[in-house]
Amino acid sequence: MSTSSVPTRDGTSIKVRSDAPWWRRTTPIVGTGLVLLAAWALASVLSEALPTPVATASELVRMAGDGDLASIFGRITLFMTGCFIVAAIGGVSLGLLLGSRTWLDRGLSPYLAALQGMPTSMWIPVAAVVLGTSPWSLAAVVSIGAMPAIMLATRSAVKNVPPLLIRAGRTFGADQGSLLRHVVLPAALPGIMTGLELGWSIAFRCLVAGEIFSGALSGTGIGDVIERSRETGDLTEMMATILIVLAFTLAVDRLVFARVQHRLRVSRGLVDSGLPH
Amino acid sequence: MSAPVSLRGVSQAFAGSRGGRLALDGIDLEVAAGEFVCVVGPSGCGKSTMLDLVAGHTRPARGDVTVAGAGVRGPGPDRVMVFQEHALFPWLSVSDNVGFGLKNAGVPPEERDATVATWLRKVGLADAADLHPHQLSGGMRQRAALARAFAMRPRVLLMDEPFSALDAPSRDRLHVELQELWAETGITIVFVTHNVREAVALGDRVIVLSSGPGRIIGDVPVTLHRPRVVESERVVTLSATVRRLLDAADQLGISAPREGGDSYVNI
Repeated sequence: MSTSSVPTRDGTSIKVRSDAPWWRRTTPIVGTGLVLLAAWALASVLSEALPTPVATASELVRMAGDGDLASIFGRITLFMTGCFIVAAIGGVSLGLLLGSRTWLDRGLSPYLAALQGMPTSMWIPVAAVVLGTSPWSLAAVVSIGAMPAIMLATRSAVKNVPPLLIRAGRTFGADQGSLLRHVVLPAALPGIMTGLELGWSIAFRCLVAGEIFSGALSGTGIGDVIERSRETGDLTEMMATILIVLAFTLAVDRLVFARVQHRLRVSRGLVDSGLPH
Repeated sequence: MSAPVSLRGVSQAFAGSRGGRLALDGIDLEVAAGEFVCVVGPSGCGKSTMLDLVAGHTRPARGDVTVAGAGVRGPGPDRVMVFQEHALFPWLSVSDNVGFGLKNAGVPPEERDATVATWLRKVGLADAADLHPHQLSGGMRQRAALARAFAMRPRVLLMDEPFSALDAPSRDRLHVELQELWAETGITIVFVTHNVREAVALGDRVIVLSSGPGRIIGDVPVTLHRPRVVESERVVTLSATVRRLLDAADQLGISAPREGGDSYVNI
């Protein structure tokens, strides 16, 4: 955020800012969080089995104390980041290839659409038997499982690039490679971002599905928590873990996806901040 | 020396909803080095197709298109196109847009920056170098597109109705600026428009096309003193002559642009 003063003819100045002040941006987020918390508190009063926010909070404090919280958070970050980077690089590059090679597109896209339509978690038992129940086996399913969605979104984004920009690129001497890198990729980036967000959520679902199928498969510890809750019937630790995962996805969305999306929109003139002329 | 641009017996057809459609039929055109040629005709007469053929975006069904003696095989940096819509890359700043073609041509960064700065100054956009296209007015965008094209030092500049989406004052100013840039660089320009006065104001020659299919029905030399403006009396008088050619073609049933109709040519 930056504020600057523009002098006018009568000696006074007009204050302009390029962005909303921080409190105006964070108040809605905090406000919604408080409403959700109140709803949760109400629900926990009505239902015996649901842990109260206070109980969950003290559980979180305990987990923070003995290092469980940081450990789960760190292991989720490590696992998801690794898988997602593989899925993103593979998905985007294959998607670009699909978008620019018609025969490849005709041959592969129907199968990719089918793969995207079916739940990726169905492959987990197959991978568990073929590759064993190591974190690598689930990592393979999570990263490959997220790819079709990213590939198809990238392919559509490439197909939706205005032909005029391709022509402009060609007329200004771009060969196949630089046309793809310097024209098609940046022009398709907003669509690709949507695909990446979709791929991210598919990957996360797949991770948890793996944990439910057989505990500790990803090594993130979510499976252990599920296992314990199942045995004891006490949901406090489960609720605390859900909050950790929620905090993680919220942080990723706010710090990565939302920021990148905003920057893409600003640089392409899709944010109306009052016309400059 | 062979003419920079030469079309011999060029015909082009497209697949349409009701069978094929002939867009160009037997076009013969020679453009001399440094000449400013305007092509005017009703919309749908195939004048944009002509530019596409020279640019190398499509190949003729029949006939030959050569630039400086060599057959056109695809797009090349010696034939740069300026489009009706600016076609600037929205994610790049104005200076990066202008430098885009130079970068592809392998011009080293220092030389590229110098060339970009020179052309931005010439089109009056020195202060807008770091802005993005969406932050510019329509006229400024088209200036940036002009700078991007001229910076390439092409052999031929192909312009496809570049000013038709602009407001009249911007357009008039750009008419004068384009004539100045052309005189300064000595570049060969093929300029396509549906506006007869614009064609007469800018061109050394005005090629008149009929529509459906496009045939050359007139080749009018313009010897008026430059820089010319569309309102000048002589331009208006000569425009009426060109207009009569189009009307005569209409009478003969060669083309069918009716006043008030879709493809009517305004003067």
